[in-house]
Amino acid sequence: MSTAVTPDPAGPAGATNTANATAVTPVSPTAPPGAAGRWLSRTAVNGALVLATLYMLFPLVWLLTAATKDAGGLLAGNAFSFEGFDLGRNLSDLASHGDGVYFRWYANSLLYAGVGAVLSSLVSVAAGYAFDKYAFRGKEKLFSTVLLGVLVPTTALALPMYLLASEVGLVNTYWAVLLPVLVHPFGVYLSRVFSAGYIPNEALEAARIDGAGELRVFVSIGLPMVMPGFVTVFLFQFTAIWNNFFLPLVMLSDQKLFPLSLGLYAWNSNAHAEPTYLPMVVTGSLLAVVPLIVAFVSLQRHWKAGLTAGSVK
Amino acid sequence: MSRSWKRTPLSAVGAVGAVTALTVLTACGGGDGNTAAPGADGKPVAITFWGWAKGTKEVVDAFNASHTDIKVKFEEIPSGNAGGYAKISNAVKAGNAPDLVSIEYPMLPEFVSQGSVQDIGPLFGDDLKKKFLPQAVELTTLGGKNWAVPFDAAPQAFYYRKDLFEKYGVQVPATWAEFRAAAEKVKKADAKARIGTFFPDDPTTFQAMAWQAGAQWFKAEGDTWKVNTADAATTKVSAYWQQLLDDDLVRNNASFSPEWTNSLKSGGTVGYLGAAWGAGVLKGTLPEQNGKWAVAPMPTWDGRAASGMLGGSTFAVPKNSRKAAAAVEFATWMTTTEAGIKARIASGTSSAFPAAAELRPAAKKAFDAGYFGGQDIYRVFEDAGKSITPNWAWGPSTGTTNSVIKDRFGKVTGGGATIADAVRAGHDATVAELKKRGLKVEG
Amino acid sequence: MTTTKAGPRPGAPARGPGGRTGPPSPGTRLRFRPRSRVTGAAVLLLAPFFVLFVLVMVVPIGYAVWLSLFSEQQSGLGFGGTETVFSGLGNYTAALGDPAFREGFVVLLGYCALYIPLMIGGALALALLLDSALARARRFFQLALFLPHAVPGIIAALIWVYLYTPQLSPVVEAMEAGGIGFDFFSPSGALPSVVNIALWEWLGYNMVIFYAALQAVDRSVLEAATVDGAGAWRTAFSIKVPLIRASVVMVALFTVIGSLQLFTEPLILNKGTGSAVTSTWTPNMYAYTAAFERNDYGLAAAASVLLALTAALLSFVVTKLSGGRGRKKTERNEATA
Repeated sequence: MSTAVTPDPAGPAGATNTANATAVTPVSPTAPPGAAGRWLSRTAVNGALVLATLYMLFPLVWLLTAATKDAGGLLAGNAFSFEGFDLGRNLSDLASHGDGVYFRWYANSLLYAGVGAVLSSLVSVAAGYAFDKYAFRGKEKLFSTVLLGVLVPTTALALPMYLLASEVGLVNTYWAVLLPVLVHPFGVYLSRVFSAGYIPNEALEAARIDGAGELRVFVSIGLPMVMPGFVTVFLFQFTAIWNNFFLPLVMLSDQKLFPLSLGLYAWNSNAHAEPTYLPMVVTGSLLAVVPLIVAFVSLQRHWKAGLTAGSVK
Repeated sequence: MSRSWKRTPLSAVGAVGAVTALTVLTACGGGDGNTAAPGADGKPVAITFWGWAKGTKEVVDAFNASHTDIKVKFEEIPSGNAGGYAKISNAVKAGNAPDLVSIEYPMLPEFVSQGSVQDIGPLFGDDLKKKFLPQAVELTTLGGKNWAVPFDAAPQAFYYRKDLFEKYGVQVPATWAEFRAAAEKVKKADAKARIGTFFPDDPTTFQAMAWQAGAQWFKAEGDTWKVNTADAATTKVSAYWQQLLDDDLVRNNASFSPEWTNSLKSGGTVGYLGAAWGAGVLKGTLPEQNGKWAVAPMPTWDGRAASGMLGGSTFAVPKNSRKAAAAVEFATWMTTTEAGIKARIASGTSSAFPAAAELRPAAKKAFDAGYFGGQDIYRVFEDAGKSITPNWAWGPSTGTTNSVIKDRFGKVTGGGATIADAVRAGHDATVAELKKRGLKVEG
Repeated sequence: MTTTKAGPRPGAPARGPGGRTGPPSPGTRLRFRPRSRVTGAAVLLLAPFFVLFVLVMVVPIGYAVWLSLFSEQQSGLGFGGTETVFSGLGNYTAALGDPAFREGFVVLLGYCALYIPLMIGGALALALLLDSALARARRFFQLALFLPHAVPGIIAALIWVYLYTPQLSPVVEAMEAGGIGFDFFSPSGALPSVVNIALWEWLGYNMVIFYAALQAVDRSVLEAATVDGAGAWRTAFSIKVPLIRASVVMVALFTVIGSLQLFTEPLILNKGTGSAVTSTWTPNMYAYTAAFERNDYGLAAAASVLLALTAALLSFVVTKLSGGRGRKKTERNEATA
């Protein structure tokens, strides 16, 4: 699956390039005339991409420089300077404020996203595998129900979920955030695609002939084979939970249970009356972004695979 | 939550929120907390307190240091309008509210009408009541019951940069006409500077101005609410501020937003129409402008002293708390003892003007007025406090009223809407809300 | 590379969501094993998902519908507590009768009208640029453009609010220096401000989807086109884009659903910036405000139900508009190729 998204410089694209350059010039009026024109359009194409990249990266660069400033520096403008450089103090404030509650939020986020994504991926992969490998009555109807779930705006559900959770006394507990994120209909969809792609039926049949039970087949043959897909589903769900804001916002009122997103929001609210919170919000934001950036940079193959599989639909 | 829950049939008192669409959740095993004396079993009663006012942490520390029967755990929440109120009502509905919360006067009726706080009448006797400014007690007495211990009275005050006023040759305005003239002068002297700010995010500042002018938005007659936001006073105030905005004589920034703070730091904003508590906030926010600020009474319409009340905190006990007695004892300590007020003001960030009159000398003594060049700012507050226009009442749906007005105020920039439109929209939404709740309303 | 083993195999099931809506063909591949065993395993593997699915999706929706039929009534001046009474569709008429709620849908419409074309057009343009023979450093661009997606929405909003704030923002400063005075917090700036944040977060993500689909396009088709004399522009727009139509439809669908969920970014703009973004700016925010600022859960539930209905309706319309089915199958094979 990932071949499709990893351009090979000498591959098909290169071939098109040559063909384009040699054959097209005289025929098409829009094709660049001659070498100068080609250079121009090469510059235009790459220039446009560079512009887009600048747009994408400059807020992150701002975050980086802003995180080093104290409150005065932040409020003084001069965004990209190192005026009021105070990164060390910002970090120590982060660590000490409210008895280190920031790192508690960090741990919570890791817990919600880590545990949530592992469990949710297991649930999704099991379901996706079942949809792919078994035939049973009403299967496709059931599958459309799952797809319907993809389409329901989760934020429209958060409020009713909150009302329900307060009825059963789950509000303001870890469960209130952890349980809802276990359901990831899109993960089931992806898992079905991956199961079809990664697990040859022959392998399952072989195990069955050896007398393995169905569950055993799933755990010892299916699951290991679909692992790359599992990682993809995990990565997507991890991101979604890490970024989750609305659900914790309605569910949690105890600071100790907050994930990073909600904690930073609370600090940002405090910052309105107390500017000393500002540097902590900004530096805290920077630290909160780091794990995902690391995950995305190091796991490129997996998210690309997920997006490719998504495009299958 | 490790408590267990049981369902009890819906009771008329204290039913609130959607939880009660079917049932009320009540904690098991609780006796009548209101009568249980703190520390009766020898162990200190542990209570939790939510608030955001400056100096609160210091007060709590001082209380804990001097008390063995009650231990207070303070949790700082965002200020009410910045999400604190949502957090409180959320927690009340979820059954995990603390034992004491900070609620400003405007929002108290809303919390009472939602059934989120308990009647503390039995714990709030007449000898206690008479210690407070009568207006403050009035604002916390609703439907004949006492719902909160008032803390500060928040008479309005005008803060200004003395150094810049002198530099620009601007007189401190005593009337609103003079204020406008002063605003023009400031702008003329420095094209980037403005005398004050219209806060689109904070309708209570505007309401305090209307209050000062003699408006009375809510009146209870019998069991009917009369809502009137189109009276002469309000109309006058809206038109005045609209004109200031149209002529670009005041800023239009959210209160305490980075943008506003930046303008204060850079001298782009040279005045602040706030309340007594604002002195401490300025001091905390702009420590580098030490000695440059001064306080004056609010400008008035006719030159005679008049003031509204802008904000001001009360302490209320959420309905689920079973430690009301301890909570009220702590609240009483904070609001009526010298030790309580000293601890708060000595923190250096609070300039609260206590509703309990006998504490004001102590407050004044504890406040380090160096920031204001040694000016007797409590004298200014004292006079303003005496001039608070009587008869203003807050309606039972401030949540709705003010969120609608705030939303419309946000559109006042760039000529999208007018202040009067916003007030009108707030009015309509209020009337609709009261009707929806089944209340009798005229207006 | 994993592809080699994931390539199409004989007998690999060629289907996907919506790909086959016809009657299921039970037991075609497992016919030689006892049905009960198969069903048992399938039930066991599906159960966790569906139990949770019912718990966190079906039940809350049902509960919301139930709650939306009740309202809190007070008596006297309203200080004597509340009583819950059945109010039928009262909350629905209250929501629909509230100008703020209706404005929320108007805003949403405006948002979609501005955001969706920009998003689809922008992502498609970037993907085509990246896919064009002239692009360099594809891997770098792809990653760099995707990175904002790793930033939580709330943090993205916080960053951008700074970048919108006059006197603090280098962007506003640069714009002013260039003679463009634009107030991101003004009524006319509200929509563009929010659209920009959302674009920043999602453009790269969708671009990667399109780019992946483009890379999967059979190169011989493109070569044939160039041989036939089609220029780069024509290849892009009359050959490449139609070939990845399925991806475009999917992205459009998810963008519409995402738009309906709009909450975090406008909330940050609403709180404490003095922006013209109101607390009821989107229907979602209306529901939140109704619940947590107005304490009216019945109204909040009704607003949530109306929003969910709108989502269902829109998804239906988008899928219907996207039409045909056969195309999906080809796409799929290309993507797994």
